[in-house]
Parts: sequence; C-alpha cells; structure tokens
Amino acid sequence: MISKQEIIEQLKTIVKPYVQNQESFDALTEETDFINDLKINSANLVDVILDIEEKYNIIIDNESMEKMINVKSAMEIVAIKLAEK
Amino acid sequence: MIGNDIVDLALAKKESNWQRNRFLDKIFTENEQLLIANAINPEIMVWNLWTRKEAAYKIYNRETGIRGYIPLQLDCWYESENLGTVSCNGFTYHTQTQISNESVYTIAVAKKQYFSHIKKIELETKITKINGVPFVKDIANLITRPVSITHHGHFWEGIMLVD
Repeated sequence: MISKQEIIEQLKTIVKPYVQNQESFDALTEETDFINDLKINSANLVDVILDIEEKYNIIIDNESMEKMINVKSAMEIVAIKLAEK
Repeated sequence: MIGNDIVDLALAKKESNWQRNRFLDKIFTENEQLLIANAINPEIMVWNLWTRKEAAYKIYNRETGIRGYIPLQLDCWYESENLGTVSCNGFTYHTQTQISNESVYTIAVAKKQYFSHIKKIELETKITKINGVPFVKDIANLITRPVSITHHGHFWEGIMLVD
C-alpha cells in the first residue's frame, strides 16, 4: 500500500506546474489550500483533478471533486479511490 | 451581493487546454457543452460560461458560507452572449458579460435591480474583509458596501454595490 507521505509527494509533483505562490508550495502541508494558498487558477484545478485521475488511474466523481480544495481532501480522495480499486 | 470574474484570453490560451480530454465534462453541464459545441467561437463560449460560473460562485460562497469546487452545480441559462442566469442549489443569480478581443468579463448579482447600482472601484481602494468577504468602508456614512474584485493576466476589475 502506498503511504501518506508518498501521496503527498506525488501530489506536489502534480500541482507544481499550476502553482502561482512558490513560497506556499515550498512550505506545503496537508492544510495547504489549492486556491487560497497555492493560488492555483480555478480553471487549472480541473487540470489538477485530471492529472490525479491519470496518475492513479482513478475516476474522481463530481461529489469528490467538490471537496478538492486542499491537499488534505485530495489525499483522502486518492486514498479512498485507490482502496476501491 | 455581487460577484465578478475576468479571463485574459491570451493568458487563458497559455494556461488552459480546454480541448483536453474530459476537461469540459468536469466543469460544464450537457446543455453548456452543447452551447460550446455549436458556438461560432467555442473558446470564447468556454470562457463566457466559465466567468459566469465563477462570478456567481462568489455570491453563492459569500451568501451561504459554503466552499467547494462545484462548477457543475452552477448551471448557466444562456439568454444571449451578454445576458443570462446561473442557478445553484435553489439560488438564481443574474449575469452580464462583456466580450472584447482580449478578455471576457462577467458581473453577477443576486437581484437583477442591482445591475444599476454597481460602481467600478479603483485598484487603490482600501478593502476590508469581514469573515473572508470583501467590503469597502464608507467612512462618512459608516456603511460597509460589498465589493468584488477579479484579476487575471493583464486585467483587474473591481466593483462595489451602492444604494
């Protein structure tokens, strides 16, 4: 099974191209907010979601997508979807 | 309550590939995707509908306190290139959209009559946040007025609701 630390590292790689606040990215924790902290453009949040789907070969349904506003919920959704596989 | 959103079309071209597989499915309803597919300029339609959703979401978020990534719940009714409504969980917001060669800009309001009570604000305007919601304080009257600001690429727009 994939560890929490691995997921967080992989998520960092995924969000990196869309981040507009480098300082906040360098200090990224589970509490980091994609829009308020990393300043990811809300239209690019779709790309983050599609990249996560492709990376883990999972489908993020609409209900899960609604919660994708910070690192913590992204980690939880990835973990749940991976467990369902 | 009011909301606004602007897209710098040149920057959007660089930042977003809306033709990416499943991109549209994630953020636009079937009806909205039909509007995009049938548009003379699909790219402008993407950003037209997107700015409507974003502007409406700002009101929804401020009025309900609910935060989420909910583009599919923000359902656009497209009256014309410049007018329409966005519905979300029982709320309906009215939108006015301006399109130029460089940008797409939408203002959303909770009540239609607010459109005639909107004033542009300047970049230097001092904005106060109350529970995360931006306001301008009118010192003479000791009144707080809701504002909404948006920026993308070369563009910055700020509006305020006045009496």
